[in-house]
Amino acid sequence: MTHIHVLHILNKAPSHPRSVECLSALMPGDTLLLIENAVLAVASLNEYRAGIPVFALAPDVIARGLGECSENTTLVDFAAMVDLTAQAQQIISW
Amino acid sequence: MSKSTLIVIDQPPYGAWAGREALDMAFSLAAFDQRVSLLFMGAGVNWLRKSQETSEIEQKSVEKNLSAAPVFGVEKLYADAAACDQYSLFPESMIAGVVITESSSELIRQHSHTAFAG
Amino acid sequence: MAAIPVQNYTLVITGAPYSSQAPQTALLFAEAAITAGHTVDRVFLYGDGVHLASALVTPPSDESHWPALWAKFLTDNAIPGIACIASALRRGLVNESEQKRYALPASNLLDPFTIAGLGEWVEGTMTSSRVIYFHGGG
Repeated sequence: MTHIHVLHILNKAPSHPRSVECLSALMPGDTLLLIENAVLAVASLNEYRAGIPVFALAPDVIARGLGECSENTTLVDFAAMVDLTAQAQQIISW
Repeated sequence: MSKSTLIVIDQPPYGAWAGREALDMAFSLAAFDQRVSLLFMGAGVNWLRKSQETSEIEQKSVEKNLSAAPVFGVEKLYADAAACDQYSLFPESMIAGVVITESSSELIRQHSHTAFAG
Repeated sequence: MAAIPVQNYTLVITGAPYSSQAPQTALLFAEAAITAGHTVDRVFLYGDGVHLASALVTPPSDESHWPALWAKFLTDNAIPGIACIASALRRGLVNESEQKRYALPASNLLDPFTIAGLGEWVEGTMTSSRVIYFHGGG
């Protein structure tokens, strides 16, 4: 796992205003972690900025029946979510 | 970069409580001599409108609450430029002392912490 | 791969149980953090998050009891769980001393949670190496 400047943790559905704000704040060097309702975005992932690594919390993805849709994201468990937060310089929960 | 916090308000006033609780967070940091600024984005920029008259909805005016921010030691009030455009909020319709920012993502990078109240 | 630095966390929960996923996501995160060798300095409940500390929450018996699960986790790991006093009083969450102060008919703060001011959160931002927020969804 490489250096992460800002880890953006997003828990809102794609149509939520906060989700839109989060996506427009992504910059090179950042990482996006989708949790809770935000994992619904794995079904329509092309809108994310190129070059931003995108992770999704596996229990939330699987719970919503999206396990087969997540080819553009890396599924992570809670242990890996903890690792991401430990490595990031800065963390924002949207 | 010295340690500083950016508290973000993106919910409109009166219809939701998270903005007031965000303001309390900013005032608390300032009370403990911590550096803090507020960023209004999305519908949250409606906090900044002048001439709010709230007696008929029986809530305290957030315009009044906000006017205490510099007194409490909140360093800056920022407003997202695109959101101001969206809500037709021009400098003359805004409370005094607001700094318009074109890039909220740059602002986030200039602070060591960024937090929403809910 | 570089070793992952050990962190001490302050967790802030602003989403209520049974109207958001925040308390359960936060609990699973906290358990994983402890398992990985990190420490959790405190859990701070803010806004609607204070409902997690109500002793009166009574879900149906076939649903997870998030306040009870959180109370056990905090007790087992000796982690302070603090509800913001301003958020708590507005939402009808009181301990015995607030009950007496305001002459209320009952108190309902679940053990081991305590009630304190936002200064506890400020302390977290000053002394914990990581502050993570768990908000309501939408």
